[in-house]
Amino acid sequence: MEKFEPIIKADDLSKRYEDGVLALDHLNLEVRPGEVYCLLGANGAGKTTAINLFLNFLPPTTGTCYINGIDVTKDPLEAKKYVSFVSENVMLYGNFTARQNLDFFAKLGGKTDLSREDYHQVMRRVSLQEKAFEQRVKSFSKGMRQKLGISIAIIKDAPTILLDEPTSGLDPKAASEFLDILNELREEGKAVLMSTHDIFRAKDVANRVGIMKEGRLVMERTREELQYEDLVKIYIDYMRAEPLSA
Amino acid sequence: MWTIARKEIVSNLLSYKFFIVIFLTVILIFTSFFIMYRDFNDRLSDYDIIKPKPEEPIAVLAPNPLSMFSKGLDEAMGRSFESTVIGITVRAGQKSGNEVFSFFPTPDFMYIVKVVLSLVALLFGFDQISREKERGTLRLMLSNSASRAKVLVGKWVGNFLSLSIPFLLVVLLGFSFVNLNRDIHFSANQLVRLALILCVTLFYMALFLSLGILISTLTRKAAVSVVALLFIWVLMVFVIPNMGNLLARQLVDVPSVAGLSEKRNQIWTREVLLGMQDRNWEDHYSKINREEGLLEEDYRNKFNRLVKLSKNISRISPVSSFVYAVTDLAGTGIGEEDNFKRAVISYNNNIFPEISAAVMDRKPRQYPAFQYNYRELPEVFARGTLFDMSWLIFFNILFFALSYLAFVQYDVR
Repeated sequence: MEKFEPIIKADDLSKRYEDGVLALDHLNLEVRPGEVYCLLGANGAGKTTAINLFLNFLPPTTGTCYINGIDVTKDPLEAKKYVSFVSENVMLYGNFTARQNLDFFAKLGGKTDLSREDYHQVMRRVSLQEKAFEQRVKSFSKGMRQKLGISIAIIKDAPTILLDEPTSGLDPKAASEFLDILNELREEGKAVLMSTHDIFRAKDVANRVGIMKEGRLVMERTREELQYEDLVKIYIDYMRAEPLSA
Repeated sequence: MWTIARKEIVSNLLSYKFFIVIFLTVILIFTSFFIMYRDFNDRLSDYDIIKPKPEEPIAVLAPNPLSMFSKGLDEAMGRSFESTVIGITVRAGQKSGNEVFSFFPTPDFMYIVKVVLSLVALLFGFDQISREKERGTLRLMLSNSASRAKVLVGKWVGNFLSLSIPFLLVVLLGFSFVNLNRDIHFSANQLVRLALILCVTLFYMALFLSLGILISTLTRKAAVSVVALLFIWVLMVFVIPNMGNLLARQLVDVPSVAGLSEKRNQIWTREVLLGMQDRNWEDHYSKINREEGLLEEDYRNKFNRLVKLSKNISRISPVSSFVYAVTDLAGTGIGEEDNFKRAVISYNNNIFPEISAAVMDRKPRQYPAFQYNYRELPEVFARGTLFDMSWLIFFNILFFALSYLAFVQYDVR
């Protein structure tokens, strides 16, 4: 794994909001191609803030984040060429069909020469039902919308994928299918950074797991290390421990 | 940018909101064309009755076809002005047969655009950013390498085209319908003016679209945008334009019409009494005419100052600039009416010696026919329309620039 340079990198990254809340405190992490990195933590731990910083939705207070070696703050548009993003609640455009949504975001991601069949193939890959391809998205369940969200990420074919709690609210079957797709993407060499509450699935899919608390990365374990440790216990221990600021 | 613009157009075409709004607009514009067309035909018939015979000293203006688009002061200009030895007598003119016009604002094209289309443009813009945020699509969109400027311009272009293309088609259809009547002729100059009116209208609609987008970038929820925009819309369309007149009246002292009439009576009484003594009526009529002219001139100067101040105050709202630009281009504005009245006074002054002599001789005479040429476009532009158009463009740029600044700071989380 170490033979690749990290494609996602946070270097001493901090974010303090205007109200004084320190949402992210000197985060250092690296994700390499073919690696899935799961960020675990309670609400407000800083997981989503980290992802927002990588997408330049927020400027960092200190530190730098890199995508494919590009400083996201300095050249956000260039950095975003190498990122796909799936958010927690992908509502999409309800009046558009699944294919129309896919077509719009593909073109926005720079894929202008795709055929209808290309779109259908990607939707088949994420196990979206065939009959839904030309249906308006407003009739979709959350699971279907989430599958469409991941197909938007796939069709962009970016080397890095950022996922912000993508399995939240999905039924077990849909969540399991979602993780199968993540495994495939890892096999293709994509670098995946995923924030999640789902400890079990994080353990299943991640090459590395980081636990965040009060904006800090308090623990990091590799998949190999987790074979001998109980992630659930580690997680609960960290959550029950005294506040870091105390 | 075109990807986003195209998405906006397709999204509009697929939404019920678009069809309902466009359907209502189409109905309103067609109804307006139909009502104004009927009204114009009635006024043409009136004109046929009241138009002066060659020997009559009467000034009357033929109905202006552009008044179908913007009625403005056309009815005041359409009255008949007879020059007599006792001054100018104002008679009835081509009055609108439609009495409903007395109760409600004339539903001409300009009114529909001013009130309804401004609201429609706001409806297209009010949720452009806040709705995307609520749906979560803004994050998804901006996670790509599309800059915020491109997103904003794309949204503006897409919505502007969605709004303006159906509008122009409907206007074109309405115009074709009006042209079916062989009695209605548009000269080349009037067609140019009409094209300019449409141009001003597009600036006006664009301005409200930009305003809608601006408020959308300043709010987090579409529902908040609606309330804020409704408040601003009422202020811009109804409150500020009317406030201009009220404020100006406090600042400029214009004699009342009753006061003016009283002064006229005093002149008349004095000169008639003097005339009864010396019987030199020709001199006294001339004196009355001269003094009344001075009185009228003084009144008009003060009134024009009031009008100018009212216009400038009301221009705080770009809606007023739109109204002034459209009425001036249509030849139914304040400037044209003033020019027309000056032409009537000048006509009266020119033929007064002959009228006076005819009274003294008790012999009918032939008077030269009244001729009126509408102000040329360069003059119309120089007297305010260029400023009003530039003002509309300025507001467009201002609202869009502010939208951009707000959107760059917008928290997409």
